[in-house]
Amino acid sequence: MNPSPFDLSVEQSRRSFLSNVGFGLGSTALASLLAGDALAADSQASAPAGIAAQPGLPHFPSRIKRVIFLCMSGGPSQFETFDNKPELSRMDGQPMPESFTAGQPIAQLQGQELRCLGAMTKFKKYGAGGVEISDFLPWHAKMADDICVIRSMTTEQINHDPAHTFMNTGTVISGRPSMGAWVNYGLGCETNELPGFVVLSSVGGRNPQPIASRQWGTGFLPSRYQGVEFSSTGDPVSYVRNPPGVSVGQQRQIVDAVAQLNRGRLDKLQDPEIATRISAYEMAYRMQMSVPELTDMSDEPQSVLDMYGATPGDGSYASNCLLARRLAERGVRFIHLYHRGWDHHGDLKKFMGVCTGLTDKPTYALVQDLKQRGMLEDTLIVWGGEFGRTPMFQGKGGVGRDHHIKGFSMWMAGGPVKGGTTYGATDELGYNAVQDVVHVRDLHATMLHLLGIDHNHFSVKFQGLDMKLTGVEPARVVKEVLA
Amino acid sequence: MKRYFLFVCSSLTLFTAMLVASPALAQKKLDYNRDVRPILSENCFFCHGPDGEHRQADLRLDVEEAAKDYAIVPGDLDGSDVFQRIISTDADMQMPPAESGKKLKPEEVAVLKRWIEEGAQYDPYWAYVKPQPHDAPQVDDQAWSQTDIDRFLLEKMQSAGLTPSPPADKVTLIRRVTFDLTGLPPTPAEVAEFVADDSPQALEKVVDRLLASKQFGERMAIYWLDLVRYADTVGYHGDQDHNISPYRDYVLDAFNSNLPFDQFTRDQLAGDLLPDSTIDQKIATGYNRLLQTTHEGGLQQKEYLAIYAADRVRNVSVVWMGATVGCAQCHDHKYDPYTIKDFYSLGAFFADVDEAKHFTMGSNALPTKRPPEIKVNTRRERAEIARLEAELSQLRQQQEVEQQEAATTEVSVEDTAAKDQAQKSAEEQQPSLSPAEKRLVDAIKRLNDSARLTMVTESIAPREMRVLPRGNWLDDSGEIVTAAVPQFLGKVNASGDRATRLDLANWFVDAENGAGGLTARVMVNRLWYLFYGVGLSKSLDDFGGQGEPPVHPELLDNLAIDFYSHGWNIKRMVKQMVLTAAYRQSSQTTAEVRTADPYNRYYSHQSRHRLPAEMVRDNALAVSGLLNLEYGGPSVRPYQPEGYYRHLNFPQRKYHSDKNAQQWRRGVYVHWQRQFLHPMLKAFDAPSREECTAQRPQSNTPLAALVLLNDPTFVEAARAFASRILSEAPPTDEQRITHAYQLALSRDPEQQELEIVTAVLADNREIYQDDTDAAAQLLHVGLKPTDKKADVAELAAWTQVARVILNLDETITRN
Repeated sequence: MNPSPFDLSVEQSRRSFLSNVGFGLGSTALASLLAGDALAADSQASAPAGIAAQPGLPHFPSRIKRVIFLCMSGGPSQFETFDNKPELSRMDGQPMPESFTAGQPIAQLQGQELRCLGAMTKFKKYGAGGVEISDFLPWHAKMADDICVIRSMTTEQINHDPAHTFMNTGTVISGRPSMGAWVNYGLGCETNELPGFVVLSSVGGRNPQPIASRQWGTGFLPSRYQGVEFSSTGDPVSYVRNPPGVSVGQQRQIVDAVAQLNRGRLDKLQDPEIATRISAYEMAYRMQMSVPELTDMSDEPQSVLDMYGATPGDGSYASNCLLARRLAERGVRFIHLYHRGWDHHGDLKKFMGVCTGLTDKPTYALVQDLKQRGMLEDTLIVWGGEFGRTPMFQGKGGVGRDHHIKGFSMWMAGGPVKGGTTYGATDELGYNAVQDVVHVRDLHATMLHLLGIDHNHFSVKFQGLDMKLTGVEPARVVKEVLA
Repeated sequence: MKRYFLFVCSSLTLFTAMLVASPALAQKKLDYNRDVRPILSENCFFCHGPDGEHRQADLRLDVEEAAKDYAIVPGDLDGSDVFQRIISTDADMQMPPAESGKKLKPEEVAVLKRWIEEGAQYDPYWAYVKPQPHDAPQVDDQAWSQTDIDRFLLEKMQSAGLTPSPPADKVTLIRRVTFDLTGLPPTPAEVAEFVADDSPQALEKVVDRLLASKQFGERMAIYWLDLVRYADTVGYHGDQDHNISPYRDYVLDAFNSNLPFDQFTRDQLAGDLLPDSTIDQKIATGYNRLLQTTHEGGLQQKEYLAIYAADRVRNVSVVWMGATVGCAQCHDHKYDPYTIKDFYSLGAFFADVDEAKHFTMGSNALPTKRPPEIKVNTRRERAEIARLEAELSQLRQQQEVEQQEAATTEVSVEDTAAKDQAQKSAEEQQPSLSPAEKRLVDAIKRLNDSARLTMVTESIAPREMRVLPRGNWLDDSGEIVTAAVPQFLGKVNASGDRATRLDLANWFVDAENGAGGLTARVMVNRLWYLFYGVGLSKSLDDFGGQGEPPVHPELLDNLAIDFYSHGWNIKRMVKQMVLTAAYRQSSQTTAEVRTADPYNRYYSHQSRHRLPAEMVRDNALAVSGLLNLEYGGPSVRPYQPEGYYRHLNFPQRKYHSDKNAQQWRRGVYVHWQRQFLHPMLKAFDAPSREECTAQRPQSNTPLAALVLLNDPTFVEAARAFASRILSEAPPTDEQRITHAYQLALSRDPEQQELEIVTAVLADNREIYQDDTDAAAQLLHVGLKPTDKKADVAELAAWTQVARVILNLDETITRN
């Protein structure tokens, strides 16, 4: 009963479907296979390119088409970006009141004296909405009216690796699907030449924390929905380049010969799995053709490169932002950027300068570029780390801050997100989120809602349970930030 | 409509639907476990099941007495609230409620209706009842009455209106059984011998040969290592290497020496607690250390000890009991009678595992430190050392007599420390060694030097274990628990004042008074899956209420009983499973059968499936002649894309692929980096081994196609395959292509295939004759030197042909 419909069994039901409709693998049938699940085949003629959604999805009209998640890996300090705490600055150097910290989880400051650390920069209000932004982020200041800052985020994990896992999958247990996989599974995507979920990464700042590939894993969902990492050095995608000494034409011939021979086998055995393999090879070939075109930025005008501050091929966050736009244009559903370098236990001021120097302007450019192309209205952009940082001092090679999970800041932009607003608040010392608290699962619920998915009814059977991105605890859509 | 319905619904619903729809079968009384309980479990137990804390309306439907208090009145639909609420059209009354997202299908309602009408009989849950022996049914088909397995299968098949498929041809059969038992293709000679052998024992002879080969253990290890989540790295944060490869050797040896499964269980869970435990048993306790660990700065020890405890509960319960006890970490299980206390009590068996040292001692080195570790030689190395030492001692006695000189010191070698000592003294005396002595001493030293560290289990004073309310490790208010098995399954016999891991292991394999019946069912079901493509219960990892009850419960019972009553003998069980008419069937089937039985639950044909990741690799290496069949040892590193480990840190990682024949070892030995599994293995669905995997998904993706097309391992294999074709086959193109097909597919090409491949050859020959630089580039991929005398263009053209063949669906498919 209730087999997980997604491992062997989905292929099995595909088999029975195809054997029901019968098929010769003409171009129409191939197109329908490429179009995704066989169930979509009834609309073969009009099927758009891409991978089809699950039946019944979206639950209601989507407000956005895609997500670009800008992960500031390591955990940026909210006190030097978006959460202005004058009281904390007033108490700078004084003991942190125990009423805040007693019995709370704590990371590297275990067993140490806890002292307040005031903001190491100044804040001003920007834009019509008067969003408070620190001097570290001058380009963010220019787009204050595009973003909605959430100052009341909370998460449950205080170490990097589990905190990323929690942010991406809603649980700390390894082997669960990441949000990009969930979204692609639910809604499919609009490209059949590129993966629907792409991961890009860059480095710069203090002590780049490792990132595990489980962060873009597919868990118990079919592997086709896993995030594919594009590398900025070497081949953009593993094995996307022909072997040396093999031309495009020769590779095409190999793929064609394999397809012809497989088709002969298919005629004999009528096993739809063979048809799927033929289409997988075709898509692999197309990916080999389209990825170099995607990553070749020679068609971008200098003005665009300047806006991002991107030097193509340098692997920088700026180049990744530009690549993100190109991926978005080509129908990729979920684009996840990681910038590794925000783990500022010490020398925070210097490293904050490094990190914002590398990311502030490109982030601005991405938002503006999408806006100019009319794509911001159907793109959700999320900015933030896996957690925030303590209001308490840490001195690991200069003044810094430890990991903090009880209150931190993120921002969203695009689609119906109300730009120029600030939502939620922490207490006077910035320790606990106290007003309009937004848990990670609320963020997930809100993201899914914008995509037209009711998070309560978006589940997959695994080990007998209805698994959801938002887990078993109640999650809410933060409607207050949406127009 | 009916066809559409049959296609979308799951097999059990299918079965139920057939019961309801077919007048002949409709007379048969419903079976609670098979027909009714799954519907109740899926739709009702979440709120009206075992979890007392979240139970709604104080109504419990999983326990007969509670259900029949008022909600279910046997034989009385009007009086049964459950049924009235189910058929209610009033949104406030209707069950399941709309917000649950559950909806009963009409045929499910029909089953519940009939069940209540028939008296609403509850039965004890099938998986927790001791297996009972069943007489095999009488069947009239001569070919299908040779084994009990076939009799059971045929009877069910016929009652479902299906007929067996004809036997597969002999070539297909020997390919199938060789892949299944060794993970490798048969050689052309093995195929020829089998095809020529007309004796009734032909297949049995092959099976015996395969079971006796070392490759059997390698094949089985692939599966076992998935279950126990074996990997070469710690998994969390820095994902540093840890020392564990001798455990893999233990697993290989265990399957090859046919170690009884009960002993295999005791060794791994509690080898350190066995009286006079051997080195192998200590190595086996690496099982308790296979979980993901971390020494990330700023970790809180208490939190991670809780995470580790939960990890062990999840793994041990799935591996041995097919149970999802892990779901009871925060609250009582929603579907099965596991309580939150059971969860922490099961974890308490492992409270004595010495493991916290790494929180402070773990280093950002490769490998990192994960004490306790011991340095060991493999079993074969130990045997070899013993042999050499005996020889040395004999030699010295001889020399003593001959030369009448003072003898060199003989050292009785008992343990590694003493060996080291012996080594040192031997080295010090080296100047006076005779050449023969020196040879032996050096050989012994080399073997001792190849000893590897491996994580083991050492027992310390057990930590205090509490129930963590809602799984919260900061909450110390929960009750203190002692080691205990899930309460509803009975009690474990404690050998001392505290039940130990050894007591747990004994309980798992005690078919009389413990969970042995369950353990045996879980294991034979998994073996069955390996050889038939789908388990007798499809749920390899969940024998609980949300899993699928077996379609052939009598057969599963008989196999389980056979397993434990014949000494938990794995090879015996495997042999029984593959020497059946059912196993020999063709996998070829019709659209009608696929529609009627989409999951092949009646085994009316064999299964066809893509090879597991490791075997995709092994097969290409075997066909090309590159495969290095060296057995056991440390992990190996195949070619891997540049920069693939760029996200790893503490320390930053540079991957160094092997520069020698280790490059062509089997997939089971490939370095398993949890956070960044080798992209080839990953593309073909090998799991990260962060958690237990009982069944890998079988994807069919462009990323996998790119691997076979462009991964240097496969390009090099194609190159070597081309050399092999050119050197082994007679010189015409057609003969060579035929030979290539024989090597890769054990058959001749058909005319059309020949034409397609010949065209590829001709075009590439022309291209490479014009551009020998390109040809040379292609031939430069990989370590394997190219024959200097070979015609570069010709070899490159054949390499392209070889690439085509290695990319064929048929090449990577077990049929």
